[in-house]
Amino acid sequence: MPGSVTVRGQFQHSGSSSLYAAELVLDSDGQLSVHCHSSGEQLAQAAPADYRFGSVIPGLPVELRLRDGAVFVPDDSRYRWPQLSKGAAMAERLESHKMSILAAIVLSPLLLWWIIVDLMPMLAGAAVPWVPDSVKQQMGRQTFYSLQQTALAPTELPAAEQAMVRYHWQMALQQLQLEQQEYRLHLFKSDFFGANAFALPDGTVVMTDQLVSLLKDNPDAILAVLLHEIGHVEGQHSVRLIAQSLGATLVIGIVFGNPEGVADLLLGSGSVLLQNAFSRDMEREADQFAIAKLTELGKSPQAFADAMSALLAKHSDEADTTSSLLKYLSTHPDTRERIEQATQP
Amino acid sequence: MENNITTPAQPRVDKVAFSGKAGEFFGIWIVNLLLSIVTLGIYSAWAKVRTNQYFYGHTRIDQQPFRYLATPLQILKGRIIAVIIFGLFFVLSSLSPVFALLLALAFMFASPWLIVQSLKFNLRMTSYRNVRFAFHGDYLGALKYFVLLPLLSVFTLYLAMPWALKKIDHYLCSNISFGGKKLQINTDTSSYYIAALLAMAAMIGLGFVVAIAAFIIGMISAATFGSGFDGDAALGAVAVLLPIAMFAVYFVGFALSGAVYQSLIRNHLFERTELPGVAKFKSEMQVIPFMWLILTNLLAIIVTLGLAYPWAKIRKAAYMASVTTVAVYPGINSLVDEAQQNSNAFGEEAAGLFDVDVSLA
Repeated sequence: MPGSVTVRGQFQHSGSSSLYAAELVLDSDGQLSVHCHSSGEQLAQAAPADYRFGSVIPGLPVELRLRDGAVFVPDDSRYRWPQLSKGAAMAERLESHKMSILAAIVLSPLLLWWIIVDLMPMLAGAAVPWVPDSVKQQMGRQTFYSLQQTALAPTELPAAEQAMVRYHWQMALQQLQLEQQEYRLHLFKSDFFGANAFALPDGTVVMTDQLVSLLKDNPDAILAVLLHEIGHVEGQHSVRLIAQSLGATLVIGIVFGNPEGVADLLLGSGSVLLQNAFSRDMEREADQFAIAKLTELGKSPQAFADAMSALLAKHSDEADTTSSLLKYLSTHPDTRERIEQATQP
Repeated sequence: MENNITTPAQPRVDKVAFSGKAGEFFGIWIVNLLLSIVTLGIYSAWAKVRTNQYFYGHTRIDQQPFRYLATPLQILKGRIIAVIIFGLFFVLSSLSPVFALLLALAFMFASPWLIVQSLKFNLRMTSYRNVRFAFHGDYLGALKYFVLLPLLSVFTLYLAMPWALKKIDHYLCSNISFGGKKLQINTDTSSYYIAALLAMAAMIGLGFVVAIAAFIIGMISAATFGSGFDGDAALGAVAVLLPIAMFAVYFVGFALSGAVYQSLIRNHLFERTELPGVAKFKSEMQVIPFMWLILTNLLAIIVTLGLAYPWAKIRKAAYMASVTTVAVYPGINSLVDEAQQNSNAFGEEAAGLFDVDVSLA
């Protein structure tokens, strides 16, 4: 126990703006008394249970607060009460020690990276099986309904082409031993999506007329696209993407707080890039699924590359602009990278 | 100033002093960041309290600092509630578009409550000379000013927006009290319209400058690349540079119009606000220095991959203090806040569940 200390400072009664230049004495039993510096009048007196020290912050004096709301602030901002517990002074020591600052500079980005890139996807993957089927059904139905209202029109494909797509769909589901009733294929004409296909979490897969027309001479390529979409459903990618984005948004929000103005925008764009990165990972997963299942069905993975090449040729201007920078703005991996993956031996 | 010696209500006029140091705050920030990450966000409540204590404690009017009184546990409680609400919101609105719409509607009606709650909490946790601030707004007022007026002004094609912003500022300021005295505010609608128009003009002016510059660069590069250069490479370079340039223009435009509006409005607001018998305020922000500060801060943060954030924050706080003058009247010496004289300063009594700032930040 430290001996008696006397500290010069400023005293204020509870809820009162009057200032007193004062002297505080803490005796060895922890008994405290405050006297006005000019008049010598006693301003306050307290037992150890009735006062507390404020936070210890670098560069600021440590105030002493009384239970009734009075406060004493030492004049010397560097003064540290000898009665302060080790724990109370710990944060300041870390915040002003060169080694801990250096460690923080190195470790913070590494850990943050690890949390977002490894931990979050892992947790999201672990959480997905807990999402009830009814929720996924609901998600799929609702989204499908709104898309039908806004972006999808009835198919105008000739019956033969429709039958060809459906044949490959049935064949894939049967041979891969997937639950028939969990998957539904729909064909739609869509000017909004163009040549495209997408999957919803309840097993609804939509392929547009435009995509079928583009690939109609190469049925295996259509099969490859269907398998890619089935890969999204099997991997539960919609739910995982939601979980990962939520996790990353929360981590960034909590750790960085609320930076003002433009820095906020910057963080905002950061999370968009991050979401796109998550999305690209899942596209790659679905690609791998499609390629693996093509082999299983006795087809060549080249079919997947053909589908991608056809899309690439259709959006040929896209090919020119897919630079190293723009790929971070995309929700899908670079098409040529996807082709290469399928054509690798 | 002369001949006024006999007047009893002679104020002490001085600039707001800010003594925070970038190096010192860098240590606080980076160590708290690491501790927040390691504890999966839990320590962030302590980090927020320490950061606020640092900035409040280094901001002085008339040699007396502000104090931030919230405890980390209060902040933590608010964050846990916010995380749960945000998570539910996020998940439910991803589940179905109908849900999302309903939730957006629910949020519209809940947000005034959250705003009032947050203002009450944050002002009650701000103290100057051991006297706390307070916010007296209620749900209906906030609903009117934060939801209904902005909605209405959308229907006027935003023509009424500056007026709505004036009303919002008025609502905020006139409901703030210090030591039982309410702030008095008397702002002009015309000043808000002028600020909004100038902010727009700045944006449009920048647009013109950028368009002309882009045209000239386009002409020059067309002349250069047109004559036997690799046209494809040029196209590729443009494809890469264009988004970056657009991004930059967007940020500069945002900063510029923001700086114009903020400086004009803050100056006007401070001029027309007073705490009768206690304090008068003056703000002398200038558009160009302020915009320069915002842009260079942003640039520094980008270039250092975020490490300059503490420096930028300190620099902005120091600038804001340096353009702010407060005249303190002797009335400041005898303020008494009776409400807080009777309460336990250690906050040990059970506070209501929602005696928190429900906020992620």
